[in-house]
Amino acid sequence: MQNKKSKLDNPILKSISTILFKKTTSKIGTILIVLFLALIFIGPFVIPYGPTQYTPDRYSPPSLAHPLGTDNLGHDVLSQVVYGAYPSLIVALLSSIGGALIGLFAGVLGGYYTRAEGFVSGAADIIVTFPPLPLLILVGMISPNIGNLIIIALIAVLWAPVGRAVRSQVLSVRKRPFVDAAKASGMSDLKIVMKIMIPETASIAFAYFILDVAVAIIIVTALEFLGVGNPNQVSWGSMFYWGEQFAFPAGAWWWVLAPGVSILIVAMSLALIGFSIEEALNPRLRTQ
Amino acid sequence: MDFITRRIITSLVVFFAAINLDFILPRFIPGNVADAFVSKPISGNEYQLIVHRLGLDLPPQLQYVHFLEGIFTNLPPFFGYSYQYFPQEVSALILSRIGWTLLLLVSSLLIAIAISFVVGALASMKRGGKLEYSSMYVSVLAWSTPAFFLGLALIWIFGVTFKVLPQFGTVSDNIVGLGPYVSSVIQHAILPVATMTSVIYGQSFLILRGSTIQVLGSDYITAARARGLRERTIAFKYVLRNSLLPLVSLSGYAVAYIISILVAVEFVFAYGGIGDLMVDGIIFRDYPVIEGCFFYITLIVIILAFIGDLALLKLDPTLRK
Repeated sequence: MQNKKSKLDNPILKSISTILFKKTTSKIGTILIVLFLALIFIGPFVIPYGPTQYTPDRYSPPSLAHPLGTDNLGHDVLSQVVYGAYPSLIVALLSSIGGALIGLFAGVLGGYYTRAEGFVSGAADIIVTFPPLPLLILVGMISPNIGNLIIIALIAVLWAPVGRAVRSQVLSVRKRPFVDAAKASGMSDLKIVMKIMIPETASIAFAYFILDVAVAIIIVTALEFLGVGNPNQVSWGSMFYWGEQFAFPAGAWWWVLAPGVSILIVAMSLALIGFSIEEALNPRLRTQ
Repeated sequence: MDFITRRIITSLVVFFAAINLDFILPRFIPGNVADAFVSKPISGNEYQLIVHRLGLDLPPQLQYVHFLEGIFTNLPPFFGYSYQYFPQEVSALILSRIGWTLLLLVSSLLIAIAISFVVGALASMKRGGKLEYSSMYVSVLAWSTPAFFLGLALIWIFGVTFKVLPQFGTVSDNIVGLGPYVSSVIQHAILPVATMTSVIYGQSFLILRGSTIQVLGSDYITAARARGLRERTIAFKYVLRNSLLPLVSLSGYAVAYIISILVAVEFVFAYGGIGDLMVDGIIFRDYPVIEGCFFYITLIVIILAFIGDLALLKLDPTLRK
């Protein structure tokens, strides 16, 4: 037991690949997300309809010609789901990468250098109190081309929880004997940060990155659903935006079900992976 | 600096930052805010008049002073007039609806936390049991389901297909008497509260689970078992109280996320709270209303997070110095 614990206690990014394929939960998550990514990469080459191409079948329920049905203008829903994945996924990916990197940097800074501590944890405390969606609505009202603004605003929100988690991990790593040993042997602070602190905490930041992609997808689609941004750009959020207005009176449940289930699959597989990594990092969370 | 001073300072900074964002962000909108005020083309003279009336011809620093004056010298704070509901004041509009938002928020918070406590405690009694696995998968599912999708699905099932619950709104029209009124309010609240409960359960259960397992590994639980206490006593008395701490300390962040989702859920159910009002503001480009809603929503988060901090202070003696 002791032996096993010390092995898991000291994780580096390499071990993440073993986590991804070893645990049942993360295995399910990995397989689901890979299948889904394959669908949206291959989809554009296989699906005969473009996402904004009109077909004569309006409000057609799922059929052989349209596996996920069509909407009020005869757009193929499968094609919209596939092409519409890109805007949401790109915004979510970029903002989560930015959030995780800044959070990692700020957390290490705030945990290792006592002078930065008050500033970093104070800033994180302030950020996490802002309700993200209303803040993004306020930001998104500035202009209809909000892609970049939304990414910046999301990074400004997402880094804070990462920073908090990384900081508390750094505080516990700092107490370990090998850090004292490194200091005693004349290792500079910068080198300790680069060689010990960042590798020791990168996997926590990675777990947050995975979970934040899911959170960001949900927030971004909610934002588009509420009418912030350009509803004429094909995305999961805009499918909800139009679907909410037109699908109900026409009884076209498939139109809203498709993007909803897509978000659910992506978010759930990321959650399974993210929580498994967290569990591996914190052995006490493991189900016995 | 002790814990509570720190939290008060944080709350004050958030409060002032929210007010400043309210002032600054809408001023980045290209063109003039007055453009949004009118829907039809107007003459140059009329335009000048509106710009003057809204105080937009003043230099920015003077506008800022007037803005702060409006907020701090009036009760309720003055955020200008709604464009869509002119001549109603933004604050009056929001305060007339904030009760519905609080009703949804508080009732779903209480229900979800009660459920996750009971399930969490029961699941902790038998590690690796069926209940632990199934409750974990259910919470991951709840965590990853977008609330607006769940809301639409619930409306579809219970409102449209089976017609057992109202599809939208807060209360039916033409209701006489207190009894029917209350029952109509409850009927309208069931679906939105169920949606929010699922969201909050997904957030809280996973936090609670982590802390419960951490507590279960502690020496005093082993000691309690050695003393021959019943598993149920241990689960509900020892484990629950101590696993509360991380949940409460994360409550500020969780509430900020939960209330964000509430905005979308209110819109789905056309539930007349401030979330729905804010989304209406997007459609009508009603900036004063959006600014006001952002201010009040942030204020709700600050207050709830502060209540959470006070609870934390009571639960965790190590924070008292």
